[in-house]
Amino acid sequence: MRNVPALLRRELNACFASVLGYVVLMFFLLVMGVTFGVIVNFLNRGPTQLTAMKIMFSMFWLPSLVVVPMITMRLLAEEKRAGTLEMLMTAPVTDFEVVFAKWLGAVVLYTLMWALTMLYVLILRHFSGGTAALDLGPIATGYIGVLIIGQFLISIGVLASSMTKNQVAAALMSFALVFLVIIVLNWLGFLFQGGPLSKIIRSVSAFEHMDDFSRGILDLRPIVLYLSGTVWALFVATRVVGSRKWR
Amino acid sequence: MIKVENLTKRYAGLTALNNVSFEVNRGEIVGFLGPNGAGKSTTMRILTGFIPASSGRAEVAGLDVFEDSLEVRRHIGYMAENNPLYVDMRVNEYLKFRAKLKGVPRADRKDRIQEVLQMCGLTDVRNRVIGHLSKGYRQRVGLADALLAEPDLLVLDEPTIGLDPVQIRQVRELIKDLGKRHTILLSSHILPEVEMTCNRVIIIHRGRILASDTPDNLMKTLHAGGLVNVEVRGPGSEVQAKLRAVEGVNSIAVKVGDDGYARVTVQPKAGADPREGIYKAVAGSGWTLRELSRTRTTLEDIFVQITRDEDEAEEERREQRRSLLR
Repeated sequence: MRNVPALLRRELNACFASVLGYVVLMFFLLVMGVTFGVIVNFLNRGPTQLTAMKIMFSMFWLPSLVVVPMITMRLLAEEKRAGTLEMLMTAPVTDFEVVFAKWLGAVVLYTLMWALTMLYVLILRHFSGGTAALDLGPIATGYIGVLIIGQFLISIGVLASSMTKNQVAAALMSFALVFLVIIVLNWLGFLFQGGPLSKIIRSVSAFEHMDDFSRGILDLRPIVLYLSGTVWALFVATRVVGSRKWR
Repeated sequence: MIKVENLTKRYAGLTALNNVSFEVNRGEIVGFLGPNGAGKSTTMRILTGFIPASSGRAEVAGLDVFEDSLEVRRHIGYMAENNPLYVDMRVNEYLKFRAKLKGVPRADRKDRIQEVLQMCGLTDVRNRVIGHLSKGYRQRVGLADALLAEPDLLVLDEPTIGLDPVQIRQVRELIKDLGKRHTILLSSHILPEVEMTCNRVIIIHRGRILASDTPDNLMKTLHAGGLVNVEVRGPGSEVQAKLRAVEGVNSIAVKVGDDGYARVTVQPKAGADPREGIYKAVAGSGWTLRELSRTRTTLEDIFVQITRDEDEAEEERREQRRSLLR
């Protein structure tokens, strides 16, 4: 893993050297900003059990569906298309180092985006006069949840990007997979409500996990689930990158 | 430096390399010559560890390219076909990134980058974005990258493709210069290029090695001396009869011009040099001799001849198979 720092730096540079990084950032901040505005407006109408940040975190899927494909589609697909993968892989670097650095770069970017939403917390704090409405514990675990789920979705995006030379195809593939993992699983949960299957589905549903996280519950099970999912996806992506060697 | 034994690479439905064996010694500049799709890039990709062979062995610096891939890569400076680069990076940024990947020690990095920038004439453009550079400059960035870690072996796939004549000359000079300190394996489908830069040429066609020798030897053995041109003032038919009788002449063609001179093209027998005999024959007949010269065979002739022979042989084999099936 000696080469990861150099590779990571290159990833982050590439992201901000291209217009794409800024466009994605702009998209994210626009969606989150509008969402935040709507939430605050909603909460102003009357007393409720919900807190602003809890609703905010429950909207995590909205930017994920677009942001994850956008920041991962380029990663390996573009290297393959431009042929730079050959230069990378003929340097003394392992396949896994490359895949890992690409994933890490996207995770750093994703984290940075969400970190900007911490401004909302400051805004809430300022205008609520620092009352009990702002419980920092659940907010912290909420951010942990967003990161844990996000890094897994990004690993899926990396996997999608490893499978094609075409960025658009990679983006659509990871969109479909993220959609499957977040939306379809949740929908299945509704479909089998009360049945024997519902317990299983609920235990792997990102919405359920996020709900727990934003309540301040730090459960080890979803964390293990997402981390092992990431390990699996990065392992498969490494094999796909290495498939030029046995195909 | 390089030792390749019975290397074969098969893709689905295509044999890109067929039982190829060759060696490259330390300090040599070896040119891989062949038409597009001959297997040059495939061989280079196997040597640099990008793809493995289907069977056979390849060693670089005494290490197996598949078993010790990472270690082998440390010995090689590689410039891939079409010279892929990160076009969004600046030249020195890119070289710094590559130097880190190649494990150039932190303390030496700056000096080393300065050195290759200077060597490749990139000092003036070191702060420019690679995507904005001309093709010639990009090619030099690729070369600079290959040189970064002071590798024992440079593998350059089509280093002058797409350059204009001035740039081609510059890159060639650079390669020749590098040959003093590095072992170089370069590929090309442009013949004068390998003829000028390499000590040895390996001709590869349809995944097989057809010849491997110095450019001079190839010319000597494969096409003994080329054609002899003669211009004589004399009657065409007589000239033809007289010259055909000269020892060492295989066949001749005569064309009489308006000025009374007969232009004769003589194809000598293999290994023979009939020029002296031709002079004596002409002088003995009292004709005026205006020209007696030998066209130098170029590698191009050899190449065309070898690959044509090979294609004909292949066609024959196919024909035989077809008739057997009938």
